[in-house]
Amino acid sequence: MNIKTLVSSTVVFSILTVSSIAAVQAASDDSVTVYSSRKEHLIKPLFEAFTKDTGIKVEYLTGKGGALIERLKLEGASTQADMFMTVDAGNLWYAGSQGLFQTVQTETLKSNIPSYLRDPDGLWTGLSVRARTIVYSTDRVKPDDLSTYEDLASDKWKGKLCLRTSKKIYTKSLAASVIYNHGEDKAGNIISGWVSNLAATPNAKDSHVMNAILAGQCDVGLVNTYYFGRLIAKNPNAPLKLFWANQDTTGVHVNVSGAGVTKYATNVEGATKLLEWLSSAEAQAIYGSLNKEYPANQNIASDDIVSAWGSFKQDDMNLSKAGILQAKAVKLMQIKGYK
Amino acid sequence: MEKGCFKSKIWISVLALLVAMPIFVVALSWLFPEHELWTHFSQNLLPGLISSTVILLIGVGIGVTLLGTILAYLVVMVEFPGRKWLEWALFLPFAIPAYVLAFVYLGVFDYSGYAQVWMREVLGLPGFDIRAGSWAIILTFVLVFYPYVYMMTRASFKRQKINMIEAGKLLGASPLKVFFKISLPLARPAAAAGLLVTLMETLADFGVVSLFNYDTFTTAIYSAWGDFRSIEVAAQLASLLVLVAFFLIYFEKKARGQAKYYSADVSNKKPYHATGIVGWLISLFVFGVFMLSFAMPMLQLVIWGWESAGEEWSAKYFDLIASTSILTVSAALITVAIATVLALPGRCKQGSIWLKGVIRMATLGYALPGSVMAVGLLYGINQISVINIYFGGESINHIIFGSISLLLFAYVSRFMAIAYSSIDASAQQIKPVFTQSARLLGATRLRLIWQVYLPMMTPGILAGGLLVAVDVMKELPATYLLRPFGWDTLAIQVYELSAEGLFERAAVPALIMVLFGAILMSVFQYLDKKSSKTS
Amino acid sequence: MLAVNDLSVTYQNNEVLDGFNLDLEQGEIFALLGDSGSGKSSALRFIAGLDDAAKGKVELDGRQLSVNGKHQITPESRGVGMVFQDYALFPHMTVDKNIVFGISDQSKKEQKDRVKELLSLIGLEGIEKKYPHQLSGGEQQRVALARALAPSPKLLLLDEPFSSLDKNHRNQLASQVRLILKKAQVTSILVTHDEDEANALADKVGTIQNKQLTIK
Repeated sequence: MNIKTLVSSTVVFSILTVSSIAAVQAASDDSVTVYSSRKEHLIKPLFEAFTKDTGIKVEYLTGKGGALIERLKLEGASTQADMFMTVDAGNLWYAGSQGLFQTVQTETLKSNIPSYLRDPDGLWTGLSVRARTIVYSTDRVKPDDLSTYEDLASDKWKGKLCLRTSKKIYTKSLAASVIYNHGEDKAGNIISGWVSNLAATPNAKDSHVMNAILAGQCDVGLVNTYYFGRLIAKNPNAPLKLFWANQDTTGVHVNVSGAGVTKYATNVEGATKLLEWLSSAEAQAIYGSLNKEYPANQNIASDDIVSAWGSFKQDDMNLSKAGILQAKAVKLMQIKGYK
Repeated sequence: MEKGCFKSKIWISVLALLVAMPIFVVALSWLFPEHELWTHFSQNLLPGLISSTVILLIGVGIGVTLLGTILAYLVVMVEFPGRKWLEWALFLPFAIPAYVLAFVYLGVFDYSGYAQVWMREVLGLPGFDIRAGSWAIILTFVLVFYPYVYMMTRASFKRQKINMIEAGKLLGASPLKVFFKISLPLARPAAAAGLLVTLMETLADFGVVSLFNYDTFTTAIYSAWGDFRSIEVAAQLASLLVLVAFFLIYFEKKARGQAKYYSADVSNKKPYHATGIVGWLISLFVFGVFMLSFAMPMLQLVIWGWESAGEEWSAKYFDLIASTSILTVSAALITVAIATVLALPGRCKQGSIWLKGVIRMATLGYALPGSVMAVGLLYGINQISVINIYFGGESINHIIFGSISLLLFAYVSRFMAIAYSSIDASAQQIKPVFTQSARLLGATRLRLIWQVYLPMMTPGILAGGLLVAVDVMKELPATYLLRPFGWDTLAIQVYELSAEGLFERAAVPALIMVLFGAILMSVFQYLDKKSSKTS
Repeated sequence: MLAVNDLSVTYQNNEVLDGFNLDLEQGEIFALLGDSGSGKSSALRFIAGLDDAAKGKVELDGRQLSVNGKHQITPESRGVGMVFQDYALFPHMTVDKNIVFGISDQSKKEQKDRVKELLSLIGLEGIEKKYPHQLSGGEQQRVALARALAPSPKLLLLDEPFSSLDKNHRNQLASQVRLILKKAQVTSILVTHDEDEANALADKVGTIQNKQLTIK
């Protein structure tokens, strides 16, 4: 009888379920627990190296930044997380403003990471730098014609521009920096200009932007450099190149991924150790080679592929500002019809 | 009027209310109004979003109804070359998560995809932006969701008495006329049920719309939450979605009406035989749908997976498969068990508007975007803790948060609608007279349930269980937020890789999921055949 | 044996039956005639304990089943059997499973013997393992009768049991059923709108007209 089997297996599974609830709670005391919105394949090698170096185990749970922040807020003092790790200064700033971090300012962190990549109050620390700049087709664009983000709003790029969706954090943070540098009115005009130059509906991903340029749908776009790095690693002859934007003005817009020790961490010592280790030369090299990002630790050199793109001037806007201005930036993009 | 029925017990209502908890939490968000953000949204975002959502719903609705019903009719009523395996194969797209299909379609048909490159280079046609307008995303949703309508109308066509069709034929009606005048009206309730599920899924979707960068109502929800950090406005917007779903269910009930068209026996005789060119044309059409919705995306996944299997495959996959299986099977069993209890016939439902109301509440979670629902659940548990502490108790957060029971709770709340609609449909076919005669023969309620209701509801229970299982397997947002440590699923692996643009590697877990779904469906087919033999 | 006193039935706020009285002897077969909407089915369902009534008392074999329109004893324990219009045979059970449904408390052997005995009573030996949908309408009707008789009810109610059969078949079956009921010695009430059928089957025929019962 099918149904009877079904009913009895329900019972078995309920028992199984209850027993696994008990199993879940048993995380060992000396390990460090991390909530991370960086994807597993990007953090696992780091944690494994850390455990090898120090003998401290790391447990981690990945998730989306905003959702993990809600979970941390609601878990409050009962949270298992000792560290929260996420991408984008806006997320870090917001987590800090919600009281989810505690102050950690050690000499190691201060000497490894420059101050503009750290929270002024020591709530979080930037661990890798991602630059967002112009990518162009070497077949159809002369680099001399390129100059700034703002210039991509001018008429000469009509029907030639591809952009990533405004819903993505990197776009929001870039728009926030445009507001910071130009004020809201002028920023609005720049965003309008971008929108009217679009060759296609904004893409969901940076890799789609580059594919569209390769296919001839558009000529220029904006991407985070590590996506370009991945594409070039697979297809070294692709007729695409990076152009460092705004070198004569404000510099290339950068963002960070970073982490902080949670307010209710049970293993503050271990979490601090992990944070310091992540800023060390060894960890920073892994960051660079895994994801072609720039090290936050200025004492070490970039990954070889990354160095080949040349050095550039960074926008030194304090990254907390990007966080504060993000809501304004989104509002502006929604008003101007940047999807 | 339903007579000779049983009084319903209080705990049935409590059970339904519990399942509906996230809905209530979301509705409570209206206690925290935020005028400024609402002004911005209603001036700059909502007008466009509402019209694009309506266009999407209408397009997808018409598309799935036509495609699903026609396919079901063809495989049930017409004999054509290849019918036997196509009848089964048309279920397969179910096993592919919508967002996976969407990224494959974009990879093939977007400006830079093979299809367009070939069109431009070989045919010399101009390229175009496939994501502009609504037609491409509508087609994608139709190809992803038609199996819902197909599955439900197929079951209904199978129950249509073959002599009704034959009567139509003898009266000289053409096959098309028989389809439109007899079969289609009879299958209307089933098509409406499939359509309802499709529309609710479309409303709550975030994956496909974000890949196409097509703005729908969920865009505003995520914008409120992600951009403006207002979980309250997000919940308020989400509660509007629930309201829409509520009306959709209402209209579906209307469409279903009081009519009970079914006969119990299933016949395998085909009234029409399509031979020669017509037969092959029908085969070509059905096969074309199968190609586009399953074979082609699978081929792409296999090509990607082949390239990256060595890099991506590791022992970790055994854990992923284990946790996906345990979650899928236990969530399906629990959801089906609760849905069955709620749907049991013989209860005096007619008299109780209250009971009908709470059961309907319990089925609304499907319209909520998964992550909103998950956060709603966390807030709900937190409120229970707050009340508990107020009365001198302790917080239960640390026990519930990050436990597998919370995740299972989320699945039950979210997928109750699918299980319930399928099981309720089969319960509706149990006429009150069965209850009455069993009672007069001295049967207790328990015996009645065990020996009469459950066996008669088996087809609905199996179908509901399959749908829930496949949906749980594919579920991402709630799993991603609520899972305990070490409970990563295949869907999470697909997401994490594809979110970083690593589609080739994401193909590996995606393929395992499809295989998993295919196994689930084979089990279902087997049980379905076995159960239809005995009734 | 059976005494129904002062039964009144209202249907959608209309009184359809007023002051219905009926007394039956052990083994007596009574037919209740009336047009549709005359309240004859309601009277039957009240006696079965399925529906309430505005007023009325039922006493069976010395037990008070219902008083003042309310049931003292649930349908399950009234000892009343019923054959429904469309038989309500459980489609997922074979004939023998259907028949033993009401006597599940007996031993397997007793059940088996009872099935044999009843099948021979209704003249359908050897169909134990068939499913209802494999039987003709008349056969299903007789199996439904056997199922209702299996627990040896004190009273058997038949609600338009022949209505879905054709006319010739009906009269033939009616006399067959009469034989079966007489052999089983069970007190019975038949509800029908067909006078021939009523005369062929019953010892006593009553007609409902203008809310009143008149017995011939």
